[in-house]
Amino acid sequence: MCNDKICFSGDLTAKEEVRLKINGKWYEFRVGIDIEPQATLAYLLREKLGLTGTKVSCDTGECGACTVLVDGKATLSCMTIALSVDGHEVTTVEGLAEDDPVVMAFSHQCEHGYGTAMQCGYCTPGFVMSAKSLLNENPDPTEEEIRHALSGNLCRCGTYPAVLRAVQHVAEDLRNEREGAKR
Amino acid sequence: MMEEKKNLFTPRVPRKYIGQYRPRPDGYEKASGIAKFAEDMTLKRQFPDMLYMKILKSPYPHAKIKSVDTSKAEALPGVVGILKYNDPEVAVMKMTNGSWTDGTGTFDKKRAFGAGIEDRKVLGDHAHWVGDEIGVAIAAETIETAEEALKLVEVEWEVLPFVLTVEDSKKPGAPILHPEINAESNWAPSTDFSGPDTYVDRGDVEKAFAEADVVLETEWKYGNAQQCALDYWNCMVDWARDGQIIVISDSYAANQTRTHFHCMLDVPLSQIRVISPYEGGNHGRGDTGEQPFFLVTALMAKKTRRPVKYHQTRKEHFHDTQSSMEGKVKIGAMKDGAITAIEMNNYGNNGAYCDCGIASVKFVPKEWSELTPGRIPNLKFSGNAIYTNILPSSCMRSIGNVQANYIIELAMDMMAEKLNIDPIELAIQNLTCHNVPAPNPCVEGVIRAGAKEIGWENRHPAGKGEWIAGSKKRGMGFAVNNVWHTENHEFRRGPTQVMIKLNHDGTVILDAPTVEAGGGSNGCAVNACAETLGVCPEDVRWISVQDTQTGLKDQVQTDSAVSFILSEAVHQCALDLKSKLLEKVGRKLDRKPEELDIEEGRVFVKGQPEIGMTIKEYYDSVDLFTEDFLVPLTSYYAREISDEDFGTAYMANFVEVEVDTETGEVKVLKMVVASDGGTVLYPPGAEGQLIGGQCQGLGEGLYEQIIYDDATGIPLNFNFVDYHFPTMADFPEIEAIPMEIYKGRGEFGCSGMGESAPCCTPRAISNAVYNAIGVRINSTPITPMKVLEALGKEGE
Repeated sequence: MCNDKICFSGDLTAKEEVRLKINGKWYEFRVGIDIEPQATLAYLLREKLGLTGTKVSCDTGECGACTVLVDGKATLSCMTIALSVDGHEVTTVEGLAEDDPVVMAFSHQCEHGYGTAMQCGYCTPGFVMSAKSLLNENPDPTEEEIRHALSGNLCRCGTYPAVLRAVQHVAEDLRNEREGAKR
Repeated sequence: MMEEKKNLFTPRVPRKYIGQYRPRPDGYEKASGIAKFAEDMTLKRQFPDMLYMKILKSPYPHAKIKSVDTSKAEALPGVVGILKYNDPEVAVMKMTNGSWTDGTGTFDKKRAFGAGIEDRKVLGDHAHWVGDEIGVAIAAETIETAEEALKLVEVEWEVLPFVLTVEDSKKPGAPILHPEINAESNWAPSTDFSGPDTYVDRGDVEKAFAEADVVLETEWKYGNAQQCALDYWNCMVDWARDGQIIVISDSYAANQTRTHFHCMLDVPLSQIRVISPYEGGNHGRGDTGEQPFFLVTALMAKKTRRPVKYHQTRKEHFHDTQSSMEGKVKIGAMKDGAITAIEMNNYGNNGAYCDCGIASVKFVPKEWSELTPGRIPNLKFSGNAIYTNILPSSCMRSIGNVQANYIIELAMDMMAEKLNIDPIELAIQNLTCHNVPAPNPCVEGVIRAGAKEIGWENRHPAGKGEWIAGSKKRGMGFAVNNVWHTENHEFRRGPTQVMIKLNHDGTVILDAPTVEAGGGSNGCAVNACAETLGVCPEDVRWISVQDTQTGLKDQVQTDSAVSFILSEAVHQCALDLKSKLLEKVGRKLDRKPEELDIEEGRVFVKGQPEIGMTIKEYYDSVDLFTEDFLVPLTSYYAREISDEDFGTAYMANFVEVEVDTETGEVKVLKMVVASDGGTVLYPPGAEGQLIGGQCQGLGEGLYEQIIYDDATGIPLNFNFVDYHFPTMADFPEIEAIPMEIYKGRGEFGCSGMGESAPCCTPRAISNAVYNAIGVRINSTPITPMKVLEALGKEGE
């Protein structure tokens, strides 16, 4: 099983300047001066903007640690050429609300039987962003759907059951909110 | 509402924070991306003059450099520094090894673990595996330039014959890989630490086998999984003109890294500052912490007088591996189930360097022989580690205890079947530590708890289960082992140092120094501090960045001992601080300290809780001109490690599998792990360790192996696609049962839990596969191909 996350396949034609909206703010980079044309989105976020919540672990699209949202969809930033994202909107873990429900669910996960939703924490922002993407598209996922959507995020500490549980908690809260709104 | 799992944990002593289910103290920091790892603290934007360094890698499994020509690389714009094996500052470097210390110690090299097996040359000229970093290092303004420059280096190689396996390496005429260590053969030499090749010899096994009712013998082979920490090794070193060296690294040891630099570069300790923040997973790779690349980076920083960063790619991070082993095991028993003798031999594939190879083969099985088969009257263990031209051998979640368990629990499972005794009863009857007679309540406790949870009573005889969907068979397997470690194993660390500072607003700074790599020692220490001092855990700030210049000696994250040795010291330190505080507040309230207590940051009179004041109220009211306003109120405590032997704790693993006899696929349906922690300081962390350990053990048992091309010695799967470890899609139902049966020294008297969490899993899976199909597969990982071969279906 693999997940559906891919690199962002935007316009790759040569350009002199890239404009990106990152975490709600527009940035401009001169290609060849501020960034090289082959620079990845992960490089731009970390090295140019210091947004180190986005981790790079494999740098070849195998582990999901670098996952960010491009136009709301989970995207592997290590596999995405920065200039292809010209004109698009990028959200990193730093761009989420302080009390973002997914961040809070991962932080708080500690009920008996599952462990915590992170140990070393290196993969955690990537999981958070993949979960954001999943819940954006499908606010009420089944266990199978969650496992599928997050199967491209590797966790060597093996926190998977707690991650699954945390995402289920967010989905449950969303469900309760919807039902509350109906009433 | 989502259904809750049933609670399988009951603390022996109910406490307010210790033993309770609470969020991790670093949970928000990590989930929100705020937590900084070394890689995040060493960006070019933070150090604009930083250089990137790459090291030449051998394309051959065994070769020597005859000459190098770096002139083209030197001419490449952006190249700033080049170091070569024959540069004077490189050539004078002492020989070293990748693991002096087993991590726990912070002493000099000559007193350490690997003394006598110094087989690594820093940036040497002799390559021992494909990927060995040798010969030339280049620092440049960008990584790309450094990589490009390396391609321009012209190397004249003397390609040498190579060996990949134990079998080939021990043949007469095999190339000698480390003549500086052993000129005669590739076997590792006996040192003070490793001892002779027959490293356990208890009783008389020959006599016992002759007298036994049943004697069984088999061969086995254990694989070579890799740690795969997501946070690849990296370091940045600045060696300034004033002689101060600053190191920022993701090594799991700040003080040990400092000692490494001190010993190898002859620089005073005061001149070396090592900064270690969070580490993105360790899983044993840190036990080869004394890696030459640190030293090469330092030499380059000295040469260029600029900060130099080295970091591995994912491929390069396949840098050391679990020690693969092979051998035989023989077991003898009487009809009543008394195991009278076990003889095993284990030959470890050291790979290119003996980082932890000897420890895996001899040191740990020797220690283990006192703890799990501790009362079996006749034991003989022999083995050694042999050099080959593959990845160096190291630790993975342990040094050799998963292998030891794999062997003994194979023999026990075979014997149980032969004697027609339930394997769990055979284990309870025979397995215990040297100073507790069987049945040991700690052994029996974890086995009975796990057996109940998996439904062990439903287990059928091997191969006798029903067919499911025409081609599938189910089976259950079990394995038991001592946990690692208890306090008496930790003497090499020296006393544990901690410090607590109470601020005048009632908040606390806790210096319980260790590099947090995921194990959750920080959560244990925070809860112990809050519990004993009487403050809220939320008000305790644990210092997460270790700094050898300003901090206390950090406890190296190894042995699964840090959580409890820190927490015991924190408890003592908090008692001291509490008594100081109560004395002061007592003066204010006109009460004796013993009349007072603290809860949630408020001091009150026992029995009259309405009389009291918060810590903040106290400090707001004290006279600034008196010593009462000595803030922060600070206590330092150093707790000795004791060698008092309280026996040990145990863990038991139960697995149910379903084997598809058509495809050979093994699917794990359910795993149960019951593990005794003495006191479970932080249950969500403990359960996380146990569950995560099953995920790792699942990988070791079924999927994970490094594959080499026999013809060239080239490793073929150094990436996360071809080297598959379990994902979200793979994990089965896992039940973790933390228990409190054992009691060691101290307030909590814990044993470790995390390191041993996967150590029974591969064996339990293997026994379950046997129970399903009735044919043994005595090597890991159990791939579909091996299952089909075992069933006689290969080539179908």
